[in-house]
Amino acid sequence: MASVAPTAPKVQGPPAELEREPLVLNNRPLSWISDQIAGIAEGKAAKWWWPAFIVSAGGTLMMATMIAYLISTGIGVWGLNQPVAWAWDITNFVFWIGIGHAGTLISAVLFLLRQKWRTSINRSAEAMTLFAVVCAGIFPVVHTGRVWFALYPGYLIPFPNSNGIWPQFRSPLLWDVFAVSTYGTVSLLFWYVGLIPDLGLMRDRAKTKVKKFFYGLFAFGWSGANRHWSNYEKAYLILAGLATPLVLSVHSIVSFDFAVSQLPGWHTTIFPPYFVAGAIFSGFGMVLTLLIPLRSLCKLEDIITKRHIDLMCKVILGTGSMVGYAYIMEFFIAWYGGNPYELDLFIRNRVADPFIFGPLFHVDPAPYWWAYWTMMICNVFTPHLFWFKKLRSSMIFVWIISIFVNIGMWFERFNIIVTSLHRDFMPSNWGMFSPTWVDILTFVGSFALFMTLFLLFMKFLPVIAISEVKGVTPQADPHHPLGGAKGGQH
Amino acid sequence: MKTIPPQCPEPEVGPKYWRSLDQVAETPEFRNWVEKEFPAGASELSDPVSRRSFMKLMSASFLLAGFGLTGCRRPEENILPFGKQPEGYIHGKPVFYASSRPTKSGAVPLLVKSMDGRPIKVEGNKQHPDSNGGTDIHSQSSILDLYDPDRSMGYRKVSKDSVGTITRSAATDVLTEISADAAKTQGEGLAILVQRSSSPTRIRVLADLKKKFPKAGLFVHEPVDPQVATIGASAAFGTSVRPYYKLDSAKAIAAFDCDFLGGEEDSAVSIRRFAKGRKTSSASDEMNRLYVVEGIMTVTGINADHRLRSAPSQIVPALAKLASVVFSQVSGFGAFASASSALSASFPAANEKWVTECAADLVAHKGAALVLVGQGQPLVAHVLANAINVALGAVGQTVEYLPADDTAFGSIADLAQQLNSGKVASLVIAGGNPAYDAPADLDFAAAAAKAGKVVRLGYYEDETTKVSGWHLTQAHYLESWGDGRTSDGTLVPVQPLIAPLFDGMTELELLARVAGLDTVRSYDLVRDTFRSEARSLFGITVEFNLEEEWKRFLHDGFMANSAAKPVAVRLVAPNAALLAYNVPAAPAEGRFELVFHRDNSVDDGRFANNGWLQELPDPVGKYTWENVIAVSATTAKALKLKITDPKNQRGTENVDHTLKSNESTVGNDVVTVTIGGREFTGPAWVQPGLADNVIAVALGYGRQIVGRVGRHAGFNAYLARTWAAPYFAAGAVLKILDGKFAHIATTQEHGAMEGRPIVREATLANWKKKEDFARNWDIESHGAFITKTPVSTAGGVEARPAGIYQHPYEHFSSEKGNLTGPRSDRRQILKSEIHQWGMVVDLSSCVGCSACMVACQSENNVPIVGKDQVIKGREMHWLRLDRYYAGGIEDPQVVTQPMMCQHCENAPCESVCPVNATVHDEEGLNVMAYNRCIGTRYCSNNCPYKARRFNFFDYNKRENDYAVAKTDARGSVSWFSTDASLYKGPFGVDKNKSAEWEIIKLGKNPNVTVRMRGVMEKCTMCVQRIEEAKINQKVKAGPSGDVQVPEGTFTTACAQACPAEAIVFGNLIDPESAVSKLRKHQRNYEVLGFLETRPRVTYLARIRNPNPKMPDAYELSFTTKEYETKYEASPFEGHGHGTEHAETGEAPIHGAAAEMKGEQH
Repeated sequence: MASVAPTAPKVQGPPAELEREPLVLNNRPLSWISDQIAGIAEGKAAKWWWPAFIVSAGGTLMMATMIAYLISTGIGVWGLNQPVAWAWDITNFVFWIGIGHAGTLISAVLFLLRQKWRTSINRSAEAMTLFAVVCAGIFPVVHTGRVWFALYPGYLIPFPNSNGIWPQFRSPLLWDVFAVSTYGTVSLLFWYVGLIPDLGLMRDRAKTKVKKFFYGLFAFGWSGANRHWSNYEKAYLILAGLATPLVLSVHSIVSFDFAVSQLPGWHTTIFPPYFVAGAIFSGFGMVLTLLIPLRSLCKLEDIITKRHIDLMCKVILGTGSMVGYAYIMEFFIAWYGGNPYELDLFIRNRVADPFIFGPLFHVDPAPYWWAYWTMMICNVFTPHLFWFKKLRSSMIFVWIISIFVNIGMWFERFNIIVTSLHRDFMPSNWGMFSPTWVDILTFVGSFALFMTLFLLFMKFLPVIAISEVKGVTPQADPHHPLGGAKGGQH
Repeated sequence: MKTIPPQCPEPEVGPKYWRSLDQVAETPEFRNWVEKEFPAGASELSDPVSRRSFMKLMSASFLLAGFGLTGCRRPEENILPFGKQPEGYIHGKPVFYASSRPTKSGAVPLLVKSMDGRPIKVEGNKQHPDSNGGTDIHSQSSILDLYDPDRSMGYRKVSKDSVGTITRSAATDVLTEISADAAKTQGEGLAILVQRSSSPTRIRVLADLKKKFPKAGLFVHEPVDPQVATIGASAAFGTSVRPYYKLDSAKAIAAFDCDFLGGEEDSAVSIRRFAKGRKTSSASDEMNRLYVVEGIMTVTGINADHRLRSAPSQIVPALAKLASVVFSQVSGFGAFASASSALSASFPAANEKWVTECAADLVAHKGAALVLVGQGQPLVAHVLANAINVALGAVGQTVEYLPADDTAFGSIADLAQQLNSGKVASLVIAGGNPAYDAPADLDFAAAAAKAGKVVRLGYYEDETTKVSGWHLTQAHYLESWGDGRTSDGTLVPVQPLIAPLFDGMTELELLARVAGLDTVRSYDLVRDTFRSEARSLFGITVEFNLEEEWKRFLHDGFMANSAAKPVAVRLVAPNAALLAYNVPAAPAEGRFELVFHRDNSVDDGRFANNGWLQELPDPVGKYTWENVIAVSATTAKALKLKITDPKNQRGTENVDHTLKSNESTVGNDVVTVTIGGREFTGPAWVQPGLADNVIAVALGYGRQIVGRVGRHAGFNAYLARTWAAPYFAAGAVLKILDGKFAHIATTQEHGAMEGRPIVREATLANWKKKEDFARNWDIESHGAFITKTPVSTAGGVEARPAGIYQHPYEHFSSEKGNLTGPRSDRRQILKSEIHQWGMVVDLSSCVGCSACMVACQSENNVPIVGKDQVIKGREMHWLRLDRYYAGGIEDPQVVTQPMMCQHCENAPCESVCPVNATVHDEEGLNVMAYNRCIGTRYCSNNCPYKARRFNFFDYNKRENDYAVAKTDARGSVSWFSTDASLYKGPFGVDKNKSAEWEIIKLGKNPNVTVRMRGVMEKCTMCVQRIEEAKINQKVKAGPSGDVQVPEGTFTTACAQACPAEAIVFGNLIDPESAVSKLRKHQRNYEVLGFLETRPRVTYLARIRNPNPKMPDAYELSFTTKEYETKYEASPFEGHGHGTEHAETGEAPIHGAAAEMKGEQH
């Protein structure tokens, strides 16, 4: 078929100035798209892949060791204490859950909103979501004093036992169990369903029997028939509809862990929307952190274009502004609400730095002022650099800012948890928290686990939804000058 | 007779019915079915064995053996049933025995709880005429000493390089030998060193010994000797007497360097009597007033209404000043007046008004005034104090003089001299640890080496063991027979609760053997003493049944009416010898005064291996596991001490900002103190309230040879203590060691209340101004519905707004209306209308002695965690004693507050626990189900009181080095380290299998679970005691159905131990119970009441009683001032918008049981 020369377009395209910027650049043919994307998973791994994988896998092993040490010896190997009974454990949990938000938002919400640019990033973002949920799920489980009971039916999992004891349904921690597990399940299904056409493609392209068998097994006999497409699209739409409210619910429920309590700094009605905005903010940050190196390492610049990056920067700018607004509103309410304990917390535990605000309010510097101001700078100040188009189009710059967003969002959770706990109602309880090496290595290990899973995903599955990207190329559009059954390339 | 129904003939036709199961059972079908079906598998068994069935059965049994049967195994243990059950013994039921703990100057009457033959808990003997059942920390913690795996476990023969074990009889042979040698020389060359004791048997045995060996030397050594009060009184009155204070009758008390609520002897008695005079039920009540002049910040100092800082060396001038003012107003003391004005020459004029007004107040309260002088003060101060008390008309009113023992003892300095002169052939050390705590200039260890033979009786193998030839194991007082006299002179027995665990010897036996008496068993000795005591008490002529009286003595724990009769005293005329004293120069910068004081926890070092005491925070400083080198803030500034530990300094108003820092993870400076060529090194500490230019150090730490608990704890201040200057010495030099820091383990890192009304205070005048001031603070003063008086509506009680959730302990019956009707139509019903538990803590009475903390630890098997864990903030105390400073850092006011689980009715912890591990019971307790707990710690986060405690490690499995905290290169504790090497989890030694666990576990309360790691725990309000009381009442009630536990039947461990009776526990349903009444008290308030947690533990606001004429008088207490500054409102005025409500003085008993019950129709 390749010998057939392309015929001249029959339909006049719109004038160039009205033409939308194409989602796949350089007028790449469909076959190029298949080859380029499937090629990453096929054949030999890239040179950089093995070192990256070995380091990540080693880190994962280290995390497993740390967890084994924690469980065998006691929670005391972490730096937790009274009054700071939660610190890095829940910080990491909320951090990873937040990261897990971008994937579903991109896949489901943007799908429902017919944002076609999502197609080139949704697969990897969803994978990232899943892996982030895996990382997130580890922390609340291992942070319990007696893990063996936490996983036992009847304690957290409702189970009709002979004593008639049920879990405490009023506890936000139990809601977490349901929210996170639901989110994880739906995200996995959504991701898998979206993978099926591509798995069919991978099966068809597979060279070895083993690959053929496994891709074939998971492709569910996908043949690309109209009927398959019809069912597939219905299923995908339904799952998108199911996943959309979950984007809002999961982090709202995670925020209830704090909002439902009565600790100043936690007991805040603004938390659910603020957490969701923050989650999307951090999720997009992480997507950018992953995709910017990925697109250049895998030569995907034509599929994940600068426009994609630009759009994601705008989402970060938007959600970053929401988060900034929430921070300031929280502070305002602490003053306006007239609760001296809450105001004390904001001023004396967070805002008061040794240089400007401490002297301004005539109070001692807050012990964790640096954490608060790290958060403020990373989350409130840096996103506003994205007002400038020039900065948005510098990949290096965007990547650096995305790291700042990640750091800032980790510190946001650290601030909420540790600075609220360490000095609460009664001054006699006050104390400080410092992490131990086990805290730190477990957290580092969770990044390694995340990267290990992502690298494995890259090695075995198409990192971009091939069929969907093809669907948004001009070639796929019968009304487009390049589209229709014009023979030749697909 | 049972009537047998006539046989009913079977109908010939029609359907056949069966009339009974028996009838059916007769049918062949049924029989067949039974045979075939029942028992299952039985028919298979009767089959000849086939290969198939054999395999089936064998595999099934292997499976069962593998899974099922292991669970059925019983633990292997040797059960030795009683051949004959001892009379009155019921397994699992505790038995109480009266006994007493001997102290230096007396004895603490006790009631000891014994469980299956092992003492597990110590309580005060309430029946004793001079006790209310309250105790002190040392009595409470003595249980731990008994089961200390580090205690001396056998008799030793010590040579230069080895310690060999000998039998008890070999040890007694040594004593017999010494006695035989002494007999040859009339005791020449025999020296006996004892500790102070009130035991009449010991007095008798020593008298016998002295009679037999007139040339033997008797010496006494106490590092901190309370005897000076007796010597002072005897000198003042010219007869052998000792003062006995009746603080409850005193309305004005002036304490001069006298920590009678803490460091002095018999603090529990003093606290009880002091608190009695401090309790007020209404604002018009009279209340005592406490003036304190002292150098260090003591428990007494923190309770003072007026406190004057003065170096201990300057106490005599201050006292003399007071004396001269008093004597100028009371006639007949001219000679004393002139002597005292001479002594007061160096008294600074700046403080003159303070002392003058204090004296005026004392004189105004003539007959109800009292002056006290501490044991660290010279004799002249005691003589003067006695004279002042006579002048104030105190004798017979607030102080009585009781006859004192006049056995003549030599001092340890005399002994050292004799030893050095080589005259001592045999030295017998009957208890004590002189090698460690004797004055450094005597060099006791070297002197003892010059004795021919050294035999010592010791509870631990310690520093003195090393210098002795023979170490004899001492029996614990709970293993011994003995006796003593409480401070009022009542004879009390020391009764063993358990056979000596390591075959220890008592002091009495040792002395009797040395004396070569015929009777050596302590039981016989004590009984003999009792016989003569009883004879003299009942009179020679009166016949009495010795056996019955002895039984009564042991049963009651005291001999009734044996209290000493007060001696009528007359002051001897003052002479130069009596009042001669060279007042030392006041300390100044660069010439510091070094003050040695008894440690609150380990005393003079004798309790150094007691983990409960080591971990018990100092009542003022809140540091644990060590002693510190304390200086005042001004002195610290002058010395340029780097105060990086802000724990006590932050937040007070007038604090110099250079003292503040947030680097709480960095340690304090380590400093070396040198005096007269002797030195010691330890961590510096800034103590608010300390006199300037004074360096205060506690004795008792830095032990060289001690068990695993006390090892490495603190530094040894004895190294610089000399015979001449045992309590304060001038001319100390402090040097900062560059680059060395120490991290102090405190249980409270922040000392200021930040203006928050956690502890609410008023002066007596404030209280009169607004009677219900206690509920007019904080956010609740603005809300009409919170903590305010419940508004009764026509139909029922509308106490407080309904919560979102159904109240955990109440529900509505539908008797009167339907459940959807208006709330007022419904009747509130408590889930239990028999018991609703509650507690009230009177902050006015609480002095902060911490006895409650140790009592709680003992009752509830609360583990100790070690210094490193305290630094990390993981101490496990269920009950803590918060201490807040207010005002300036130099002269702060201090408040204390016992804080434990508040048993909130709307408990924030309960709704957040995902597994339902913490729930409410029907009697209003917030209970923990340890088995359910998975350890999410959310409950702790949501607890506004932070009263919950988490087992971060298996603290019961900790092995050693409790007092060590891993430090980094700078000497401060490395947060980064996990310290988990001390808690190896499953890799650690399984303590359950170790031999020492066999000893340790004997001390545990069998009614309370020993918690494992990963579990949250907290105060249960001694639920085991509640349940025991309920069961007992049920048994007692029988068919009468009266199962309500009567008031006063039992109480919690903390309330029982409290000598001040500040903690009151009881049933809120009973309107007559003390706790119900106190909850209605004007001063009753809830901590953080605005949170609507509805705590079942409430507090009575603290009242201070300042003298408006004093130069340091204050209208508002400092905490109130802080509050008013912060909130810009006063609790003594119509606060905010709160004037329209809270007019009645009724209780904020919202929801609470008694109220509701009253309202039911």
